[in-house]
Amino acid sequence: MSGEAPSPSSGRGWVSEGVRKRKRDPWRIAGNVFLTVLIIFAALPMVWMFITSIKSQFAAVQYPPEWFPRSPTLDEYRRLLLPTSEVGRDFLRYMFNSIWVSFATTVLGVVVAVPAAYAFSRFRFPGRNLLFYSVLLRNMFPAVVFLMPLFIMMRWMGLVNTQFSLILTYLTFGLPLSIWLLKGFYDNIPVQLEQAARIDGATRFQAFIYIVMPLSSPGIIATAIYSFIMAWNEYVYALTFINDKSRLTLPVGLQRFFAEYATNWPGLMAASFIMSVPVVVMFLILQKYFVKALTEGAVKS
Amino acid sequence: MTLATPTTTIRKPASAGAVRPRKLNILQRIWKHRHDYLYVLPSIGVMLLVIAYPVYYTVYLSFFNTPPNLALEDKIYVGLDNYWRVITAESVHEATWNTWVWTLWSTFLAFVIGFAAALALNHEFRGRGLLRGTLLVPYVISAVAAAYIWRWIFHSDFGVVGAISVALGITERPINFLDNVDIVMPSLIAVNVWKEFPFAMIMMLAGLQTVPEQLLRAAQVDGANAWQRFWHVTVPHVKGVTLVTVLLLLVTNLNSFTIPYIMTGGGPAGASEIWITHIYQIAFGRIRFGLASAYSVILFVIMMGMGYFYVRALTRGDDRSHG
Repeated sequence: MSGEAPSPSSGRGWVSEGVRKRKRDPWRIAGNVFLTVLIIFAALPMVWMFITSIKSQFAAVQYPPEWFPRSPTLDEYRRLLLPTSEVGRDFLRYMFNSIWVSFATTVLGVVVAVPAAYAFSRFRFPGRNLLFYSVLLRNMFPAVVFLMPLFIMMRWMGLVNTQFSLILTYLTFGLPLSIWLLKGFYDNIPVQLEQAARIDGATRFQAFIYIVMPLSSPGIIATAIYSFIMAWNEYVYALTFINDKSRLTLPVGLQRFFAEYATNWPGLMAASFIMSVPVVVMFLILQKYFVKALTEGAVKS
Repeated sequence: MTLATPTTTIRKPASAGAVRPRKLNILQRIWKHRHDYLYVLPSIGVMLLVIAYPVYYTVYLSFFNTPPNLALEDKIYVGLDNYWRVITAESVHEATWNTWVWTLWSTFLAFVIGFAAALALNHEFRGRGLLRGTLLVPYVISAVAAAYIWRWIFHSDFGVVGAISVALGITERPINFLDNVDIVMPSLIAVNVWKEFPFAMIMMLAGLQTVPEQLLRAAQVDGANAWQRFWHVTVPHVKGVTLVTVLLLLVTNLNSFTIPYIMTGGGPAGASEIWITHIYQIAFGRIRFGLASAYSVILFVIMMGMGYFYVRALTRGDDRSHG
């Protein structure tokens, strides 16, 4: 409702009246009050995480709690991020593992999804719809249901305790969405563009690389960031497939940390904070694409 | 009252293989398009390996008793025994009830809050982008981090919620949120709603953007009040996205594991045990894959029912745009 924008002068009378009315609109006021409450509900837990993370272990367990730390300290961050301490060595290893797994998942996901989406958009092979919708159905499958058979399969293939088992599994999380989203992009790129390139002597592959790929790069960014965040945050499979401490990813690493230092809440909050920073920063920079990844398909009017 | 938006008339580009000179039989058609399959082969291959095979194997395993050391060659065929155990188990009733409470309340609250936020955000104002971004952060951070943050907030001695309610004189002593049979479910649902309302918000916000501005204005000129405009113009336009959002929320909540598992592990005394954590406990706590598979198959059938509606909701949109 951006009715305040410049309007045709013929309708000035009723429009300006409408604008004046809307300024005192009780719905608008109620909406603003609601948003204020909601932002407090959404943000306060994260603020509290940060406040706790800069307290000393002693200051964190006071009653009533110190609302603001009297003597803030970055000790826990230092401990987690310095490779000289034992905690820091483990934590940095988990972080490195998470980066590697998420990155590999993302890259492989794009490599696999792009040709499939292109084929679903351009070709009319038998079974196309069936395959397409069975790919989409992946969204409906409970992760835990797949846990046992995949665990058995990974054990049989000798992949338990390797990060490849995670990469392979995570690949399928993002794939349906990536294919769906990219297919939407390819549907909207006129086939004539490619035909023109091919008349000029380009092969189908060249036409794809030089014409179609650049035009669909927003879709590729959107699917990539979605896959990365999903892989970065995944917990259940990582918990089940990996036992070896040196191969854990961050979510399970965080749980291990909690099991070992159960009362060190500032440390746990600092670790949670560090773990959240990459995805939140990435998300805030690429928000537009991420939102597109989430909503595309559902609102393809 | 369904008015088509301008975009619905855009047609899909003609496909390369659309013009067919004569009718071919299915095998000839497959052969003719054999190269097309190469493009989808990697995706389909991965999906088959990681999805189709596990589904088959779960069903298969549900008819067996598996030994606790997971030496699967020693498994014993027991027919429908595992399913019978599921139906007659004491623990399953509470878990089923909890699953309904968890799934329905989480979905309902996340949707209502998300939709309300979308409506409140659906006009230009300063700082709107920043506000939207901040509201989305809970959805983006890891569920493990979220679970620990809230566990700390709900801490029985040093939790900030307990301290605030004491400071405001609501209670005398800090409440033990996660160890109280009566409060544990509402507490967990609150955390889950915190994590998921942004998803509903962003979906509904995208849906609201398809509502034509002129139509709302026209309704206003005709004297429709805010509620009537909402009910007769906005709601019919966002029906489709509402259906998809609610279905995805239902499925996600029915599948959620991390928040209950990390925050309470199903406790106290099974008061927050839901099906998924129950299955995990049977499979990897008691190492009884056969029985856990039977649970999984039942859950799976429910999911497929929802999946049917999901694909139908998506294809309906598809038909409209390309038909």
